[in-house]
Amino acid sequence: VPIGKARMVKKGNDITIIAWGALVREVEKAMELVPNVDAEIIDLRTISPMDQDAIINSVKKTGRVLIVHEAVKSFGPAAEIISLINEKAFVYLEAAPRRLTGFDITVPLPKGEPHFIIDPEQIAYEVKNIMAFEA
Amino acid sequence: MYKFKFADIGEGIHEGKILEYSFKVGDKINEGDTLVVIETDKVNAEIPVPVDGKIVELGPKEGEIVHVGEILAVIDDGTESTDAKPEEKSDDSDNESDEAGVVGKLEVSEEVIASSSEESTSSNKSERVLATPVARKLASDMGVDIKNVKGTGDHGRVLKSDLEKLGDSPQKNVDVQQQKLETPAIKDNNGDRREKISTLRKSVVKAMTLSKQIIPHTTLIDELDVSKLVDFRNDYKEMAKTQGVKLTYMAFIIKALAKTIKEYPVFNSSFDSVNEEIVYRKDINIGIAVDTPDGLIVPNIKNVERLSLFEIANEVERLSSLAKERKIQLNELQNGTITITNFGAFDAISGTPVIKHPEVAILGIGKIMKKPVVENNEIVIRDIAPLSLTFDHRIIDGADGGRFMMAYKKYLKDPLLLLMSWFYERIWCNCIRGWTRWLCSCDKGCPK
Repeated sequence: VPIGKARMVKKGNDITIIAWGALVREVEKAMELVPNVDAEIIDLRTISPMDQDAIINSVKKTGRVLIVHEAVKSFGPAAEIISLINEKAFVYLEAAPRRLTGFDITVPLPKGEPHFIIDPEQIAYEVKNIMAFEA
Repeated sequence: MYKFKFADIGEGIHEGKILEYSFKVGDKINEGDTLVVIETDKVNAEIPVPVDGKIVELGPKEGEIVHVGEILAVIDDGTESTDAKPEEKSDDSDNESDEAGVVGKLEVSEEVIASSSEESTSSNKSERVLATPVARKLASDMGVDIKNVKGTGDHGRVLKSDLEKLGDSPQKNVDVQQQKLETPAIKDNNGDRREKISTLRKSVVKAMTLSKQIIPHTTLIDELDVSKLVDFRNDYKEMAKTQGVKLTYMAFIIKALAKTIKEYPVFNSSFDSVNEEIVYRKDINIGIAVDTPDGLIVPNIKNVERLSLFEIANEVERLSSLAKERKIQLNELQNGTITITNFGAFDAISGTPVIKHPEVAILGIGKIMKKPVVENNEIVIRDIAPLSLTFDHRIIDGADGGRFMMAYKKYLKDPLLLLMSWFYERIWCNCIRGWTRWLCSCDKGCPK
């Protein structure tokens, strides 16, 4: 597996969904819940070095982005990626880029984990929200 | 408590600079009192309050900019409700007395932006337009000024689909035409000086650019023998003086214009290009271009057709001195239907005046000069007035302009005709034979 090279999970035209690790699978499941959305799913694999080209090219095509990660929201990688998109693909944006992340708390012990992790329904909900915004 | 807001005082004015408050917080104020003087792009407007009461709070400080809809003052008028309805207020004031109507009441406008979409798009350039980055890019790719696009999204946001629709509709061309031309940046050389232009200058810039961009101007230049008029004026100048009237050529020029407009009403109209209609104006309100230290101001004389020559002369005098002192009231600038500009005051002979949108014509008068003229194969000296008539060629053809000019010259050539035309029109037929109407058998529809 090359370092710093993203994997194109699925090609699409409506929205770019960026995830990595365990959440890639959740995103794929989520897309079954919203069959009318033609999403492009990117598995980033590594966040540093980051495959900027893959992100920017995809956003230029779709104009809409959702970033999903398990880490806490504040100062997380999603913020970093959205900054990158604003810098390099601003005029292509059709809706505000959004992120679906963990809560801003200390990550709970395994017993509380089910309340913390992101499930496909949440992802599908966010995707619908973004798609509902008319450019 | 009554919140007194800066109302939309018309003429597309959206903001003004507060020059001076006449009252302080805590002062008692009566309905009709001038609360504040506001400098707008055109006039210094004195803003009267619609209620009696005590001032609790004043709006922006002197020297600051106030926008339409912002609160100028909070007045304790004894009512409880904080959001007094403007309709109720005007009802009250009507019932109370008429004495407060001296200054002229202003309607309290709750609307921040003028309802006419044309106005709100053409002015107020600083207004923000909501749109996504992608919509903005699309607009700039299409060469459309996004400010001129009507948004259908939340809060008037311009959607991509609005622009795409625009691309299909023929309206696109109109918008492309109206978009601001890109002007190259002006570079400074060593020692050059930069100065901000006044609000009055800004409004002149806007009006002139608009006029030249959308109206195809045509100018007809002609000369006119006004010897009789010069004699007539010299004879009656002294008489007029005893009545306190300064009888200028301007009064004759205006009077004659009003007469001619009655014959050719299309010169007293506006062209509504959206509905493709000509709006014939009922009143003849003739604007006069006044040169003031701050720039050009065009007040107009209302219902000229009803005024006598002396009344017109007085009105010209009054309006031009008011304009020079910047004390003119807004209504005296609004609703003009045609304009006269006198560049003869600067010894100029001819010029090409610019129409004041939405009017369709403007008449320029040059300096009246003695000139040699051939009459009956002899050279004689006559007083000659140069005339320039600029009109909107979209609705007025060159031939119409020529006919208008001929009729106009007829009136100025013979001042008696100008004054007696009431008699003339009823007795003599307009046709060439010059018979009395009841003897004439022409087909011009003379009432017998």
